Amino acid sequence: MKLITCEGVSKQYGTKAALSNINLSLDTGAPIALVGPNGAGKTTLFSLLCGFIHPSSGEISILGEKPGSQKLQNVVTALPQDASLDPNFTIVSQLTFFGKLQGMNGKQAKQEALRVLELVDLSASALMLPKSLSHGMSKRVSIAQALMGSPKLVLLDEPTAGLDPANAKKIRQIVKDLSATTTFVISSHNLEELEKLCDQVLYLEQGQLQQSVSMKADAETAFLTLTMQQSDIALLSDKVRSMPNIINVKVSDDEQIIIEHHFDTSFNLETALLALFSEHGWQYKAIMKGRSLEETLFSS
Amino acid sequence: MDASPRSSSLRQTWLIASYELSKRFTNTKGIAALIAFSLLWAIILLYPVQSASVYMLEPGFKELVQSIYGPDALGQLFSWKVAEFAVFWCIALYVFPMFSIFITADQFSSDKQRGSFRFLTLRVSRDSIFFGRFLGQMLIQGCLLLLTIIATILMVLTRDAGLFTDALLSGFSVFINVFIALLPYTAVMAVLSWYANSARQASIYAVILWAVSGILIMIINSQLPAMSFLSWVLPGSQLSLMINTQGLSSLMYAPIPLIQTLAVLIAGRIYMQRSAL
Repeated sequence: MKLITCEGVSKQYGTKAALSNINLSLDTGAPIALVGPNGAGKTTLFSLLCGFIHPSSGEISILGEKPGSQKLQNVVTALPQDASLDPNFTIVSQLTFFGKLQGMNGKQAKQEALRVLELVDLSASALMLPKSLSHGMSKRVSIAQALMGSPKLVLLDEPTAGLDPANAKKIRQIVKDLSATTTFVISSHNLEELEKLCDQVLYLEQGQLQQSVSMKADAETAFLTLTMQQSDIALLSDKVRSMPNIINVKVSDDEQIIIEHHFDTSFNLETALLALFSEHGWQYKAIMKGRSLEETLFSS
Repeated sequence: MDASPRSSSLRQTWLIASYELSKRFTNTKGIAALIAFSLLWAIILLYPVQSASVYMLEPGFKELVQSIYGPDALGQLFSWKVAEFAVFWCIALYVFPMFSIFITADQFSSDKQRGSFRFLTLRVSRDSIFFGRFLGQMLIQGCLLLLTIIATILMVLTRDAGLFTDALLSGFSVFINVFIALLPYTAVMAVLSWYANSARQASIYAVILWAVSGILIMIINSQLPAMSFLSWVLPGSQLSLMINTQGLSSLMYAPIPLIQTLAVLIAGRIYMQRSAL
């Protein structure tokens, strides 16, 4: 059964179309990224998937059920944007209450609340009131509540926005660790982060699904991204073009070129590049298999 | 599909209602409101209720009232076995609904504003939230009502311990009748607090609703007597008629608030189901 299907989904706010005719079909598995500029409709799509709002037209189905269906309770969870807990009650008491609503008894619910707080490194803040937490801590509590129970689909709307690098890394690690049993759909502006986590990327722009890109390596052709420290980029790209098995070479910026080549398992290209660097005394910063998500999405 | 145990809708509704009750009596704001409520009722019981009940026990006062309003107008008030409950009845019938407008004004507005409902709707249906909150507010008001009735019974016992059974029976009938009278007020406030952005705004809407509806109904009644049934639409329309009743006979007016509650809750449910969170 498909994880998510959207058929001709549109959402209008008055005369403004937040989403127009979205058609997509997603399977369970590795995390899925949702990317797009501000106002592209990412949060609207998340809200529709969570059942917070209803589509103006079209059909949405999650595991065969309509969003908001009782059958999806405990199966779909989310980190909603701009949602906060009741400021007057401790974090652990509220998460325990959520656990009870999910069908756990009091003891199980409290244990589950403490487990997810431990996951996001907030055990020490369990007895604090939400109003005494920083923005980043509140975000981590909101992520914690999304991890309660054993959800099959977790929708995270900008999970690491506003988090310090250490905690952002921790959240990415949680997503990686849980990916075997849970499918995450993550909306973020941090392409580097999504690149590390996701196999599939959906690109929304002006309320329309512009691209659906797989980050998995192509069987026929492959990419190599070369970031140089000291080199003559023009000369380097000319030299690379003359190498065997090269399909295309693109100078991305002053320091970076992207090489498209026929797939080869023997590392001949990498060896040749290193020899070239040695010959000209060039220094490189990184040789990366594949293209960055930014390059994949925005290269013409 | 389900990966973890799912709670039944009824259990979830009850959990939400009981959480609402515990919220009211455990947080600082709730306790402060409870203290204010207790102080106000202490004043009401010590002055109007106690003083008036002393007058009511005097035959001369009864004759005076009957000569002013007629023999049947307030006859039932003097037939209460416990005079304190006769006065309490008159006050509670009007004061509790008024309280209701203010203490149930934040059934949804704050949570809606800060997005807390989004955490809940991923776990429970909107129906469970709506009816759970409504039930929770009725439980809170039931506790407050019970508190004032117990205080009245204690006051009666300090005057005459032999009235214990009568006071208990009067207290019971007052509780049932006032509780039923509060239902439509709480239901209307559920809808208004879902619509409003804050508890204050919901209370303002309520005041406007009752004032404007009252005036409109008055105008309609005077211009179109055939439409006088409209006066039964507004919650509280039966209160003035209930004053001169007592005990189980007051329950003959119960269908009015019960039907009003049902209608408002059905409308509120539809509105909530269609709303964005």
